[in-house]
Amino acid sequence: MDVFGSFALLLAFVCAVYAFGGGIAAIITRHPLLIKSTRQAGIATCGLIFLATISLEYLFFSDNFSIAYVVSHSNRDLSTFYKIAALWSGQEGSLLFWSFLLAVYVISVLLTYRNKNGELMPYVGVVMAGVQIFFLTLNNFVASPFKALASPGADGVMNYVARADGNGLTPLLQYPEMVIHPPNLYSGYTGFTIPFAFALGALLARYPGEKWIHLTRKWTMIAWMFQSAGILLGAHWAYAVLGWGGYWGWDPVENASLLPWLTGTAFLHSVMMQEKRGMMKVWNVWLVFCTFLLCILGTFLTRSGVVSSVHAFAQSSIGTWFVGFLVLIITVCFGAYLKNRDYLKSENQLDSIVSRESSFLFNNLILLVACVAVLSGTLFPVFSEWFTGNRISVGAPFFNKVNIPTGLLLLFLTGVGPLLAWRKTSTESLKRNFGWPLGIGLFAGAVALVFGFREIYSWVCLILCVFVASTVGLEFYRGAKVIRARSGASFAASAVDLTMRNTRRYGGYIVHMGMVFVFIGLAGAAFNRDVQKDMRQGDTMQIGAYTLVLQGFDTRPEKNYTAQRVLVEVLRDKKPMMMLYPEKRRFNTTVENGTMVAIYSTLKEDLYVVYPGNSPDTDLPVLHAYLNPLVKWIWFGGAVVVLGTLVALLPNRRAVLVLSGAQQPAAQPLAQGLASPVTLREGHD
Amino acid sequence: MIKARSIAAITLLAMFGTAPLFITPLGAEQLTDRAKEVGGKFMCVCGCNQVLTGCNHVNCPSSVPMLKELSGALARGDSEDAITQMFVQEFGTKVYAEPPKTGFSLVAWVFPKVCLLVGAGLVVFVIARWRKRPAPLAAPAGGAPGISAEMLERARAQASRETQD
Repeated sequence: MDVFGSFALLLAFVCAVYAFGGGIAAIITRHPLLIKSTRQAGIATCGLIFLATISLEYLFFSDNFSIAYVVSHSNRDLSTFYKIAALWSGQEGSLLFWSFLLAVYVISVLLTYRNKNGELMPYVGVVMAGVQIFFLTLNNFVASPFKALASPGADGVMNYVARADGNGLTPLLQYPEMVIHPPNLYSGYTGFTIPFAFALGALLARYPGEKWIHLTRKWTMIAWMFQSAGILLGAHWAYAVLGWGGYWGWDPVENASLLPWLTGTAFLHSVMMQEKRGMMKVWNVWLVFCTFLLCILGTFLTRSGVVSSVHAFAQSSIGTWFVGFLVLIITVCFGAYLKNRDYLKSENQLDSIVSRESSFLFNNLILLVACVAVLSGTLFPVFSEWFTGNRISVGAPFFNKVNIPTGLLLLFLTGVGPLLAWRKTSTESLKRNFGWPLGIGLFAGAVALVFGFREIYSWVCLILCVFVASTVGLEFYRGAKVIRARSGASFAASAVDLTMRNTRRYGGYIVHMGMVFVFIGLAGAAFNRDVQKDMRQGDTMQIGAYTLVLQGFDTRPEKNYTAQRVLVEVLRDKKPMMMLYPEKRRFNTTVENGTMVAIYSTLKEDLYVVYPGNSPDTDLPVLHAYLNPLVKWIWFGGAVVVLGTLVALLPNRRAVLVLSGAQQPAAQPLAQGLASPVTLREGHD
Repeated sequence: MIKARSIAAITLLAMFGTAPLFITPLGAEQLTDRAKEVGGKFMCVCGCNQVLTGCNHVNCPSSVPMLKELSGALARGDSEDAITQMFVQEFGTKVYAEPPKTGFSLVAWVFPKVCLLVGAGLVVFVIARWRKRPAPLAAPAGGAPGISAEMLERARAQASRETQD
């Protein structure tokens, strides 16, 4: 099966090269048969990558310990669940997995548009094939997952060998989220290839109008959704497994995943200005380019060892390939832009500073500044070493200081943006739209002050969260009220109807609401506290309203590991509540240990108990308990963000012009006589 | 209608206004721990990428002796600067949790702020420039002599685009 997999990968490489070279020839000659054959070569490339991926999974499931990658990342006792995850647990397999996900996107694009956009698709196909060639080069010639295990014999000749069992999967990865977090994150990274291919293709083809934007909107949203889910699942994994009581440590690899998310978010907003007003064409193209570049840069950071991280893959020379690829992409993007920049001439014209357009400009500015701050902080240790010879580390305190104000500004704009009209917002409209939300937000702030809320950032965050939630709530309320007046349906049914009539706008609002929940959760971090103690049986530990009593200690043998559990009884106000079982796992095949944190989670707070091991001084179990307020809101917010994106991806049930007879007064008529009854103060769409 | 609006507004006000009641300000109860505060300004050098007080490795070869050293220094009454110098001498500049605000490290602090200022300046400049551009002519209702069918179609398409979704 390894030979089959290797051959499939090699053939995939050949097909991708043909799709690329033949694609260029097809663009020049415009020969229909050549165009068709290169598209089919693209499809064949994807099919062959699927076969190679299945082959590697087969090697894991058949415990083929003659393959180096299988030996390094699996063992006989590893559960089926984690044998799937073993595919992406190391450098070689994760690169194949990257190719696999890219192939899923590429084949979807090629099949979706097989008979459409004939002028553009050959260019898009060439760009996608170019990206595939790079990753297939790595899969075939730099980091092949199908390398046989070999050891030097007495004569110095390498002999192929097979081991009885493998080294097993890294304990940190043996957690359910590791089966879903990397696929989500990688789907985000690879997904941004599609808008990149369309943007570069449209630029090279001088494809007219905003069609490439319409074509890629869904693909960008899908990639963005996966990236968001991947980031939050990664944060949850860190929270539940690493046992340090937090979910985001500003680790370089975490930061790498955030960078394309920030520029991708900026693109999803600024693209609306191009769709609606024909503005910011150059900016949008470069935002897509940068997002893709940051995906590759993030992969480079994770895999090259240039920055130290607990999440990084082993240091290797693969970084040079990524640097080369980055330089190549930048060159191609600049070349294409310089050659065809006249094609990107925008119809930039602004009626008023107080408008949706301005808010999007500031939104983009804040997102880009956040991106620059995270990137410069992440790379600062490298730069400081280059310039001064000393590697100066940059930890969480720096990132928090720099990014918290930026995040709050962004949260403010999340509330302001949807309330502003396109082109111009009148003073009357400002008063009507901002009065209640601002009042409710300030009232919440005052109540918080009265009840002793003294953390300034959390206090501001609370006010802004209430403000944004009120704006979103009022938007739903106003729209649903109009529908209810016409249809007589219940308010909830009217709200659903409203959402389904304009999924993009109201899906966007749901995403904003999800972000509010995430920010509420983040604000809670200011009030985290923890206690650590060496505990004898019967000893108690107090944290907040909870009393933890160490009731015992047991050892539970499992198939792949032995769990040492601490039995902790939790009392609240002296009343027994539950038992928690934080554990430490000793794996059979590795010297590394894993921790399983016990978490009692409510919307108010998380009681988070870690058993990191026994104290070297007393040999007693050490119990580390944290009380982390509001953390659950982050995971809930993440789910709402995904739900909102899914809603935004749905087609509209009916045209929005159905609202034309509504009683809601139109805020800003666009062009008298053309669309006067339609409200122009559109939401987030 | 007015009644419904009032009920909705009061409900919203009650919901969001009382939200802080459910969020206990735990910070008020937290004890001040000097070692924790100062320890949060250094990184553990074991490779965990955590601040010194955040490293959760039991018997960590780095954080345990570092915390002991820190406690000793605080007990002696050493200043924060003296402790910083001591750690930097011992472990190098990788012990900083945040770059010092001097010399080359100042770049790390200043750069994002400069980007924000330059970016904000650029946005203001762009907005001002775009505002100066003449607005495209609006087609009068029902069309008018001199307005070509193509222009009218473009206006219709624009109106449709701007009111769709």
